[in-house]
This record gives sequence, structure tokens and C-alpha cells, in this order.
Amino acid sequence: MIAAARSGLVCLLVLCGLTGAAAAQESLATETSEPRTRGVEIHIGAVLASNSGQEFDQRLASMQRQFNALFAYSSYRLVKEQRQQVAWGERVAFDIPGGRYMVVIPKEFKNDRVLMKVMLIEGTRPIIDTALSLRDHATFLVGGPRERNGVLILSIGATAIR
Amino acid sequence: MTCRDAANLLPLFFDGELDPHQMRAVALHSTRCTTCEEDLRHLERMQDLINQNVNRAVDAIDFDTFWLAIERRLPAVQMPWSARLREWWNRGSDHPWVLRFPAIAAAMAVAVFALYLLTHGIQPTTQPVAPQLAAADSTSTIESLETDVDSVAVLNDPETRTMVLWVNDVQNGDLP
Repeated sequence: MIAAARSGLVCLLVLCGLTGAAAAQESLATETSEPRTRGVEIHIGAVLASNSGQEFDQRLASMQRQFNALFAYSSYRLVKEQRQQVAWGERVAFDIPGGRYMVVIPKEFKNDRVLMKVMLIEGTRPIIDTALSLRDHATFLVGGPRERNGVLILSIGATAIR
Repeated sequence: MTCRDAANLLPLFFDGELDPHQMRAVALHSTRCTTCEEDLRHLERMQDLINQNVNRAVDAIDFDTFWLAIERRLPAVQMPWSARLREWWNRGSDHPWVLRFPAIAAAMAVAVFALYLLTHGIQPTTQPVAPQLAAADSTSTIESLETDVDSVAVLNDPETRTMVLWVNDVQNGDLP
């Protein structure tokens, strides 16, 4: 009875220890696989989507599959593209066609994801004010603002600078 | 040694309580003296009779409930944890490495785990956690959203792992 209890206690302690060691190792692995980043490069693209014509801008070839899966427009044209490197916590603003501008504030890089605040402003009116968690190198789309005879689709990409 | 000397020593001789010198003297005398040898045989028979009677009486006792009855009458003793741990530790002295090495290793591992929890497990909660509005795929997550337009839609295509925040900035605007 005593021997069994003793063995059980030892097993419990060893299990706790192994769990702790595994967690510590995982933490260490995460820290080592996620080096410090100097900042982030924000990539904004403004795409005019419409049903007038059949044009597909070849500069958007990498996103053709996404556009075809998500939208039913017949024409997609890249009207503006901007890239800007920014430090964590600093803000960067991009001019968007139609008198709009977009403010992006990258907050932190965690678990291979970029956390950032994105604001789309028209005049003094904030169209959206959102906080996003975006996987490194991934792209998030904001669509809907009217522009001429179509709509704007804004692609927001973030790449951590190591 | 005379019979008179030996007679006083025979019960002690029989019980093995004499010193070696007296033992040898009584043994030597009893081998030569039939009276003293007969006395020794009497003692042996008496011992046998006593053993038989005692064993018979002992066999008649039911020991199945004996210890249970004793345990019921014993007051419960509450040992402090430190004493129990010390006793457990000391019992392992027969096979010290079988018990102590894992125990020491486990204690060190627990200490490392506690240190890890202290340094990594407690996250500051200065910012309130915003309700998660959408987490359609592993690529993008909308943590919070405020808008000034009439309607907002979240489109998601799991196949291309693409999420779209669609804002209708005119009334009755259509989705794409």
C-alpha cells in the first residue's frame, strides 16, 4: 500500500516535471523560431473592380484565384500600390483613390502573426476601424467603397522585417 | 560437582541461562548421574506439556478480528506532512537510487515548471480582450471592428484562405 502510494507520488512528480520541461522547451522553441523583428513592411493595393469590360490586370495575377472565388466582377485593375516599412507601434498612412486614406498601425508580431490596427477614413468619416491579426506574408481584403463605376478592393499585406 | 549443586542449577541449565563454565559442568555431571538425568527428563516433559496446553489455548483464539478490534480502539494519530515525508524518505534508504534519484529529478522538474509559469504563464491584462468577430481561417482574424457605415459583411473563402471585410458605404448597396 505504502509502496504503491510512493510509486504513484513519484510518477505524479515525474509527470509534472515532464509537462513543465515540455512547456519550457516549447517556449524556448517558440522564442528561438521567432526571432526579433525590426518592423514590418505594409503593402497596400487598391483594385478597381467593375463589370465594365473583361480586363484583368496582370499585376494582380497572384490574386486572381481569390478574386474569382470571392467576387463576381468581370474587370479588375490595380489603380494604386504602395509599400512602406514601419516600426512597431508607429502609424503609416496611405492615400486611397476617391479622397480616402488608410491608416495602419502595426502593434506586434506574435506567433508568426502581425497584429495591427487598420482605419479606412473618408474625409473626416471613419468607414472602418478594426484590429486585425494577419499571418506573416498574408493579405487581407477590404472591399466596398464606391469608385467611379465600380468598387474599390483594398488589399492589405504585412511582412515582418527580420 | 555434586548432585546437590547440580539440582539447584538444573532448571537454569534447562533454560540455557548458565554461564559456559557452569553449563559444561552440569552437562558433564548429568551424563554420569542418573538421578540428575532423570530430573532433566522431568523438566523436558513438563516443558512439552506446558507448550501443548499453551498452543492449544492459542489455537482456540480467533485472530481474524483480533487486529481489527485493536485498530478500532487505537486513537487516530494525525502525523504532520513533514513527518510523513521524512518517514517516506527514510524508508527509501534500502534502495536509495531507486527512490531518491527520480524524486530529486521530479522535484527539480517541478521547480523548473514553477519558474516557467512565473516567468511566462502570467500575462499582463492591461488591455481588455475584444470580442472576436470572425475567425474564419488561420490566415486572418478580426479582433475588433467599429464602423460608420450602414452594413459590413465578412466574406471568407476557405479554399484560398482569404478573408474580406466588405463595407457598403451607400444605402442599399449590393454585395459583390
